[in-house]
Amino acid sequence: MTRTGMIAALAFTTALGAPALAQERGGTLNFARYDGSRLIDPIYADRNPDIWMVGSLFDTLLRTSEDGNTIVGGLAESFAGADDGLTVTLNMQADLKFSDGSSLDGEDILFSLDRARNPDLGPWAGMLGNVENVTAEGNTVTLSLSQPDPTILAMLTTFNTAIVNKAVFDSAAGATDAERSANIFAAGGAGVGSGPFFLCGFEQGASMDFCANQHYWETGDDGKALPYVDGVHFKIIPDDATRVLKLQAGEVDAVEFVPFSRVAELDADPKINMNLFPSTRIIYSPINARETRADGSDNPLKDVRVRQAINYATNKEALIGLVLQGAGKPMTAPLMSSATRLATNMDLYPYDLDKAKALIAEAGFEPGTTITLTTLAGSSDDATIFAALQQMWAGIGINLVVEQVDGATRGAKNRSGEFDIHTYGWVDDVNDPSQVTGWLGYTPVRHAVGTGWESAKFNELFEASGSEMDQEKRAAQYAEMQAIYAEAAPLLFMYETPFAVAISKAIEGYVQTPLGANIFSRATISR
Amino acid sequence: MAGLQYVLKRLLMMIPTFLLVMIIIFLLVRLLPGDPAIAIAGDKASDADLAAIRDRLGLNEPLLTQFWLFLTNTLQGDLGQSIMMRTSVLEVILQRLPTTLFLAIFAVSLSLLIAGPLAFVAALNRGRWPDTLIRSVFQVGLSMPVFYIGLLLLTFLAAQLRLFPVGGRGEGFFGQLHYLFLPSMTVALYTSAIIMRNLRAALIEVLDAEYVQFARAKGLPVRLILGRHVLRNAMISTVTLLGLSIGNLMSGTLVTETVFAVPGLGRLMLEAIFARDYPLIQGLTLTFAVLVSVVFLLTDLFQSMLDPRMRLT
Repeated sequence: MTRTGMIAALAFTTALGAPALAQERGGTLNFARYDGSRLIDPIYADRNPDIWMVGSLFDTLLRTSEDGNTIVGGLAESFAGADDGLTVTLNMQADLKFSDGSSLDGEDILFSLDRARNPDLGPWAGMLGNVENVTAEGNTVTLSLSQPDPTILAMLTTFNTAIVNKAVFDSAAGATDAERSANIFAAGGAGVGSGPFFLCGFEQGASMDFCANQHYWETGDDGKALPYVDGVHFKIIPDDATRVLKLQAGEVDAVEFVPFSRVAELDADPKINMNLFPSTRIIYSPINARETRADGSDNPLKDVRVRQAINYATNKEALIGLVLQGAGKPMTAPLMSSATRLATNMDLYPYDLDKAKALIAEAGFEPGTTITLTTLAGSSDDATIFAALQQMWAGIGINLVVEQVDGATRGAKNRSGEFDIHTYGWVDDVNDPSQVTGWLGYTPVRHAVGTGWESAKFNELFEASGSEMDQEKRAAQYAEMQAIYAEAAPLLFMYETPFAVAISKAIEGYVQTPLGANIFSRATISR
Repeated sequence: MAGLQYVLKRLLMMIPTFLLVMIIIFLLVRLLPGDPAIAIAGDKASDADLAAIRDRLGLNEPLLTQFWLFLTNTLQGDLGQSIMMRTSVLEVILQRLPTTLFLAIFAVSLSLLIAGPLAFVAALNRGRWPDTLIRSVFQVGLSMPVFYIGLLLLTFLAAQLRLFPVGGRGEGFFGQLHYLFLPSMTVALYTSAIIMRNLRAALIEVLDAEYVQFARAKGLPVRLILGRHVLRNAMISTVTLLGLSIGNLMSGTLVTETVFAVPGLGRLMLEAIFARDYPLIQGLTLTFAVLVSVVFLLTDLFQSMLDPRMRLT
């Protein structure tokens, strides 16, 4: 075994080696969310408000470091992959417990991973598609793979592989796993999870409470079990303005998804820390690259030169200034955020109106042709994007008109191809570029994010990268895929945005990871 | 006895109304573009996952079969399972209903408390400065959007002066009074403007009526004239307007409950529409239809009490 992994979480070893420090403990952190969770179960979580909370209630075998670039230990204190890439061995920490104090053992891990890879259950089973068998003996868990899988360690850090208590599922009411899961969530209470908190209150769409797991394995700077706080109380406040007012009035300690137009104001508030957490969030617009539009009419965007022209005619810095008040950066990697591993950083369609004009003339584009931008109704960001693009693209003869729809309609249009260009966004769920690359470019997944663009070479590279264990070769494959994608421009490449979270200065240690997960285990309150 | 017969007749008349509402809402939600399966599984779901979800939800069944199921289940008190909340629609609605009812009753009470006395002052001082001042202030209330009034109240009374909480629902009767004061007042400022204008006009009309002039000439005490003759007669049209306002108020909760983060039926309806949660949208629409029908029935009954000439037929 040569690929011995990182051993033990850094925090864990630091805590063992460092002297115990006086550490603020206790209190309830009040957190205002833009949307509520519906079901927090590792395998059924399918919306960001659910996914981003899984880690608070359920621990994974492995973890991603805070910068998102390294895989470190979690419930497993060490891990290693075999030379042939067909086996992964994990050594579990001793004396692990669920939140009710019952022991977490191999049976729970087998049960959890079997659930996670069962395609009849949650939508994420494909992530463990190469896992053929899982065995547990003492403190050692072994995964046997059907083919080498360079993503397997990243998958073991992902929310859907988090560990649940088999005994709780066995005794829950319900005829199916989904029913048992829903009943366990509805009942709340300690026992089902191994994370730093357990669910101790829930009112759909209104509020949610997490209470500290007294049996959590990870220790804080004072050598005692995490988390530092007694609990977290979530209030669901969809309206941006009301959420911010709630913080300004001191009724909550933190608010997420602060509108970027309010960032400067909150940053100037002496009682508030305005955090812009680095993220893997990208804002882009799929371009319909099919030969004809859905109504059968000719599609001017089928010509790669027209797609390249609109990318050159888009002043991304101006968009960032208008929409994000400067709190973002242009996309430099065509298939992912620049924070994602294997991202190539290139000068991706710098603003060049002359080049745009030349390309569009070469393509024989008729000036005044109408292109429709489909945006989200009620989104001020989308409204600003439309107004700016309309002005920018008028310079190359495009008559840009808007069509406003809600999220469900936009999703349906993306699938049916009934659009010219529409606004969209993405946040990685997995700490590996394969997910976003499959989404944006690999045809069999979703027709290259609904654009209809297809490249046999791209698909071939993507498939080959799925079993390429040589990191250098894999990086080269990703570099080539990104070059193909940038050249073909099936997207309007726009910008990357951080996660804007405003937090009272009484709170320290809260983190939102680049994948969006809310981490409360090291948060402290000093009222 | 006639009253009871009237109520029974009205209740029976509600049956075709509800049936019509059910047909319209059943068809309307299905005409909306967008797929509930995408709303459940998210944009990232594969086509196969979506097909499986549609199958599980019965969305692949013919429309007539779906409607028949909806109809027969509803008649048995089963509004189905919420797609997004994965729980009984009836349970979710019953959980949120008290908050919306509290908000509606509170808002109507505040509207009457504001509009009633001021309408009297304006009518009794017709054309003089108190009348002009009152009408001008209410004109401002009428011309501003509800959400904007709400944000103004939140900013000044809650965030800056800290007199009220910024959104939420509160626990217990007094907790709810405290938390729901601002959203109720936001609605009341608009509703009371309409009621005040109507009541003022009705009061002026009644004050000019010959029977009131005669009562004055007879030397009846002003309080008696106003209470027994003027208010009672002026209230008839205002009660109708109030009934209609409550109907509007129900749809207004969509905005108010969202701005003030009140977990009531209005906000739930908005979430259900965005999630294409067909059973929940249908259940909520039926609930609103029942509430509005009951309000209209009560309005008619109250009117007949005010004016015995309005026979219950």
